Amino acid sequence: MRAMVKDGMGIFSPQGFLDGNNGNFFLSIEDIDATTKLKVDMVLVSLKKVVFFNRNGLDAFVKMLLKVRAANHATVGFCDFDHKKFEAISKFYTNDLNFSLFKTQEIASLFAASFKNQNKNVLLYSEDKSQRAAMAIELHDNGHNPIVAQSEAEYLEKSKATSAYDIMIDNTYLGMMGQKVATRVTGNAIIYTVSSFLDAEIGNTFNISYHNNSLNVGFRLFIFDAYKVVSMNVHALNFFSKLASSGAEYNATICFVGLTFEKTPIAFKETLEDAGIMFFDHMDDILKNKELLEELGASSAAAVKNKRAINKAIVTELPNFIDATVATIEMMTNATANKETAKVSTIEIVEKEDKIASSIGFYGDIDGMVVLVFPLAIAKKACALLIGEETDDKELVLDTLAELVNIVGGKIKTLLADVKISVNITLPRTYTEVDALLEVVNDKKGVQLDLKFDDDKFLFFLTR
Amino acid sequence: MITTEKLNSYIEKVPPAPQALRDTLHLLNLGDLTKAAKVAAGDLALSSYLKTLMNKSIYGFRNEVSDISQIFGILGVSGSQQAVYNYMISLLSPTKWSLFKLNATAFHNLQAELSVNWKKILTHLAINDKDIESAVTLLPASIIISEALFSEKIEDVKLLRSASAIDLNTVLKRLCGMDLFDICEKISQKWEMQESIAKIIQASSGIKPQEDKQIDTLGKWMHLLLFYTLSQPSFVEAGLNDFIDFQVENVMDIYDDFSSVIGVS
Repeated sequence: MRAMVKDGMGIFSPQGFLDGNNGNFFLSIEDIDATTKLKVDMVLVSLKKVVFFNRNGLDAFVKMLLKVRAANHATVGFCDFDHKKFEAISKFYTNDLNFSLFKTQEIASLFAASFKNQNKNVLLYSEDKSQRAAMAIELHDNGHNPIVAQSEAEYLEKSKATSAYDIMIDNTYLGMMGQKVATRVTGNAIIYTVSSFLDAEIGNTFNISYHNNSLNVGFRLFIFDAYKVVSMNVHALNFFSKLASSGAEYNATICFVGLTFEKTPIAFKETLEDAGIMFFDHMDDILKNKELLEELGASSAAAVKNKRAINKAIVTELPNFIDATVATIEMMTNATANKETAKVSTIEIVEKEDKIASSIGFYGDIDGMVVLVFPLAIAKKACALLIGEETDDKELVLDTLAELVNIVGGKIKTLLADVKISVNITLPRTYTEVDALLEVVNDKKGVQLDLKFDDDKFLFFLTR
Repeated sequence: MITTEKLNSYIEKVPPAPQALRDTLHLLNLGDLTKAAKVAAGDLALSSYLKTLMNKSIYGFRNEVSDISQIFGILGVSGSQQAVYNYMISLLSPTKWSLFKLNATAFHNLQAELSVNWKKILTHLAINDKDIESAVTLLPASIIISEALFSEKIEDVKLLRSASAIDLNTVLKRLCGMDLFDICEKISQKWEMQESIAKIIQASSGIKPQEDKQIDTLGKWMHLLLFYTLSQPSFVEAGLNDFIDFQVENVMDIYDDFSSVIGVS
C-alpha cells in the first residue's frame, strides 16, 4: 500500500479490519522505503475506513511511522477517527504515545507546513493542559488564531457559535512533532519558523526543495522567524550563508527576525550580513512596512533580475514533457489530445478572462517548470474524472487541477527516468487569475504549445 | 484510460453459460440432486473444481470428498447451486493476474471464504433461499472485471491513485457511466441468474441503497463481509484491500451482529 500525497501530507488509507494477522501485510519493505523518501511534512494513517482495529494491527503502521520520522523528521500519526477510536488508541499506547492523533485530515493540515489553510480561527480543547498549550503554540506558529477552551463545558458552549470558528479541534493529541522547519506564506513572503539550537541538523530539517520551488515560482522574500532560537553554531552559519548566496541569483532577500546574539557570537551576524542577510527585531517591522516590503521584493513576485533561460537540455527532452501532458489528459478524459502550434517565446495568453493555471517545478539532472493554462470550463472537463460531479466551486477546480498537474509531474518523472534522467517534482502551484501567473513567468522565455482535446484548447508552457 | 467501447466489448465477450452448467442448474432448480450430479460429473472441469473446492480446509471435512453426488448431497440444493455459480465466475478469471497478486488457488479460496461466511450470515438472519445464498458468488466477479479492465493500465492507475483518493469503481463510473457492480449485473443477466442476485450485488456496493428492505440489509451484510474477507493477510497482500471504497457508515448498524456471527475478536 502506498500513501496518497497531497499538500505536503502523505496519507495511508487501509480499509476494513486491522489486526495482528494482517497489519504487516499492508506495508511491504518497498512501501516503507518509498514512504521514507517522500518529500512531505506529515505522514498519517487514516482510520476513516477501518471498522475494527487492535493494538497489534496498529503496531505495523506505528513501526513504519516512527521509521519515517527518524528518516526525514516528518510529523507522523493517525487521523480520521471518532471519540471511541481516539480513546482506544490513547489507551493502547498510554505510556508510549509518541506519535500524533488528529481527529480529521483538515485538523492535521493546520499543523502541517503548507501553502494552504492559513489564518484560521481555531477553537481547541484537550483534557490535558499541556496539550492545549502545545496545540495553541503550534497553531500560532503556523499562522492561525487559536482560541483555547479551558474546560469541556467551555468548549461545548463556545462550539455552539459555529460561525465564529473556521475549525474546532478536540480528540486530538500532539505527539513528538516533526522537526522540519515550519513554513507559512504571508502575501508574497515566505516565513520559516526556526527554534532552539541551530546546528548541522538544519540541513536535514529545512526543506530545500520547497525553498527552491518557491524561488522558481517567484517568491523573493524569505523571513526566518527566530524568536525562539537560543544559539547558532558554525555549521548553521555556513548553511544560511550558502542559502543567501544561492538566493542572490534570483534577487531574493533573506531576513532574520527576533534573533538575539546573547549566546551566538556577534561575528556571525557580520558574516551573515556580508552574505546579504538582514536582521530585524520584530516581524511587524517588515510585514507592516509596505515601503520596506516593496524594497525587499515582496510587493511583487516578479521582481526578478536574473532570468534563467530555457536551455538545450530541456528542449531536447521537450517530447517527454509534451507526451506526459498529452498522456495524462488522455487518461483523464478518454479523449485524444492533439498538439497544435509550438513556438519558443515568452508566454502569450490571448484572452485572460476566466482562465486558471497551475504549474509544477522539477529539479535534478535538469530543472524547470511546466505551466498549464485552461479556460475554467475546460479545466473542469479535464478534471471531471477527479471531481466526479458538476461543480461551480472554483477552489475545488483549482485543487483538482493541482492534482492533475501533479499527475503530469509524476508522468514526466517516469518518462525522463526511462531515458536515465533523474528529476524530482515540487508541489504544484495554482493560479486563480492569469495575471498572477504572468507575474511569475511573464519575462521568461520558454516553449509554448497549444494543445487541444476534443475541440477544447489549453496551453502548455515549459520554462526555467 | 477505460473507454465505454472497451467496457462494452468486455461485456460482449463474456461467454454464455455452457450447456452442462445450464442443465445442472436446471436440475438443481427442480431439486433433483442425483440427476444434477450426474450431469455435473460429465463436465470434467466442473467436477474437478467442485472436488477442489469441497476439500478446502474452510469446509472442514476430515476425509477427502471426491464423488460429485456425495458433494451435492453434502451441500444440498442451495449449496450445490452456489458451488456451480462459483465455478461459472471462476471461468471468467484470467490465467495470469497482474493488477492483483492472485492466482487460481487464491481466487478459489476467496470464493470459499465468502460462501462459507455468507452461509453463517444467512443462518443468523434465518433466511433459507437458494438464490440469496448464491448471490455471494457474483461478488468476486467485481475483482475479475477490475483485473480485466485495469491490468493494462497499472502504471496509470498507480499514478492516479498517488495523487487522488479514488477507487477503481469510481474511476470506471466516471469514465464510462457504469461501475463494477453494473457489469456484475450484466453478467448475471447473461447467465440468466435470478434477478434478486443482481439486486443484492448492487446493494453490496455500499453506494446503491435498494427500496426492498431485505435486499438492502443483505447488501450491507455482504459489503461488510467483503471487507472482512479482503482484510485477510493474503488478500491484503494481493492488493485487494482498497480496490473499491469501503462504506463504513453504511454498515455500522449491523457491525456488532456481524462480529458475533463471524467471530471477530
